[in-house]
Amino acid sequence: MDSVSWSKRLFAAMVGADRLGATDIIDQVLAEGMDPHTVISEVLDPAIVELGRLWEGQEMSLSQNFVASKIAEDTLLKCIPAGSQSQGTKGPVVIGNIEDDFHSLGRHTVGLFLNAAGWTVHDLGNDVPPELFLETALKVGASVIGVSAMMQTTAHNILRLRHLIDDQGLAGKLKLAVGGAVFNWRPDLVAEVGGDGSARNAISADGLFTRLDRESREVA
Amino acid sequence: MNSYQRVMGTLTGQPVDRVPVFAVLGAYGAKLSGASLNRIFTDPASYAESQTAVQTTFGLDLVMTPFIYTFISESFGGETAWSEHQVPNMKRPGIGSPAKLLSTPMPAPEDVPRLSFILEATRQLAKSYREKVPVIGVLPGPCIMPSLMMGIGPWMETVLFEETLARKVLDHTNPFFVSLANALLAQGADCLVITEAMATVEIAPRALFEERFLPVVAQTFSQIRGPKVFHHTGGRINHVIDLLPGLDGLAGVAIGSRDDLGEARRLVGGETNLIGNLDNLGFASSSATEIYEMSRRCLLEGAPHGHYILSNSGADIPLSASPDTVHAMKRAAEDHAGARREPHE
Repeated sequence: MDSVSWSKRLFAAMVGADRLGATDIIDQVLAEGMDPHTVISEVLDPAIVELGRLWEGQEMSLSQNFVASKIAEDTLLKCIPAGSQSQGTKGPVVIGNIEDDFHSLGRHTVGLFLNAAGWTVHDLGNDVPPELFLETALKVGASVIGVSAMMQTTAHNILRLRHLIDDQGLAGKLKLAVGGAVFNWRPDLVAEVGGDGSARNAISADGLFTRLDRESREVA
Repeated sequence: MNSYQRVMGTLTGQPVDRVPVFAVLGAYGAKLSGASLNRIFTDPASYAESQTAVQTTFGLDLVMTPFIYTFISESFGGETAWSEHQVPNMKRPGIGSPAKLLSTPMPAPEDVPRLSFILEATRQLAKSYREKVPVIGVLPGPCIMPSLMMGIGPWMETVLFEETLARKVLDHTNPFFVSLANALLAQGADCLVITEAMATVEIAPRALFEERFLPVVAQTFSQIRGPKVFHHTGGRINHVIDLLPGLDGLAGVAIGSRDDLGEARRLVGGETNLIGNLDNLGFASSSATEIYEMSRRCLLEGAPHGHYILSNSGADIPLSASPDTVHAMKRAAEDHAGARREPHE
């Protein structure tokens, strides 16, 4: 069976929230001798992209998304040797929930999917001050900071990070991705808090970060 | 006709002078009364005063018991993040795993300081407003309740991957949910609004709700000795709304702002009360004129069938919302009633 067929089977397992079935599929793929990194890029990643399309059509719930993220995590653990990071070929990124925000589920899932897609993820956790986001991004050489907020009130705290980035003359070079439930309800809030872009869900975070990284390189 | 009569008349299908108007103005009361959020959510008298300020300012058709779910988390060892800009939030849960939750005894609400604050504030509101303005108690639904004790991530993982364990957890926590609901009623709440996030399409597909959560809702509702409104928690609920009529003591269903009100009516039939469905977040960025127009559209859709209450859909109206937007809701309901009467005058 080729990688496209395996990916379709994995996608079906994800949509059906069949975690055990997905594990079996990955075991079979690896037993057939497919390189683990190829499993990630050609089996897991296309399935995730398809899930993103479903989510865009509002045909997936958080429950299904949660199961999908666990399947992605299971796949990563099987394909990446214990103790090592993912390939990290796409570069470092920094993520976290903005100051006063404690809703970690979405951010955690974003971290899993970004990791699966090949980013080296520096997850700063909940209630992160803007200064720490910037300091970490500069330290690790990230081109994108991903900030999560669930509520409108906490989303406005992101503005301070926007100002910090701009004050350092890093606008355009260091991109600001924003996300969380409130941005899905009010897309105009992305611009209001100074975001360079947003993804509706964890599954499409890779596409957003890839675009922002490319734009950052073009400026640099 | 006072607010109590208006709301009770609407719920029971009797003629009323106008459509009742609800708005979630818990934290907003602090803005009106001049007290800090910390004060109104720790001092029952201050909370009651803040609701009186809401009532005096807007004259809406409810007063609300404290809407502060993080106090449930605190009752199980969790921590609260306080802010002067928003309703206090759960910072971290107190229990790390389903196993620990199963070994944690469920307290009587009256014995827990944070919950006894809520109960005392309810008692004071009931003393002031009994049979004048409905006292509406607010609490999280039985199926989302464990997330306040152990965190949403671990709870979702348990629900989705360990069905038997999830069932045990719910069997363990359901008595606490029921006792909190009955305690609110005992202190004078006229009706309970039960926010069940597991019923929203954003959280769980219909099959998951119907198979795993609806039986829990049905079982616990039958043990609560008072009327209950089933609330959407900010998401959409129309995908399961047809399953709700017939629940024991169901007084109504609050639908989300992105639910279609007409579709909701078709799905529940003519006798079920519907509450909603103004966009909650819109209050911060919309003018009073816009809110008036939005309210008018809701009234045109919902009011002709009766059994309808105009309300914002979601949690607290943002503190940054202008008072004029809330006034606009009520004015829309008054104007709608006036227009309805004119042909007969």
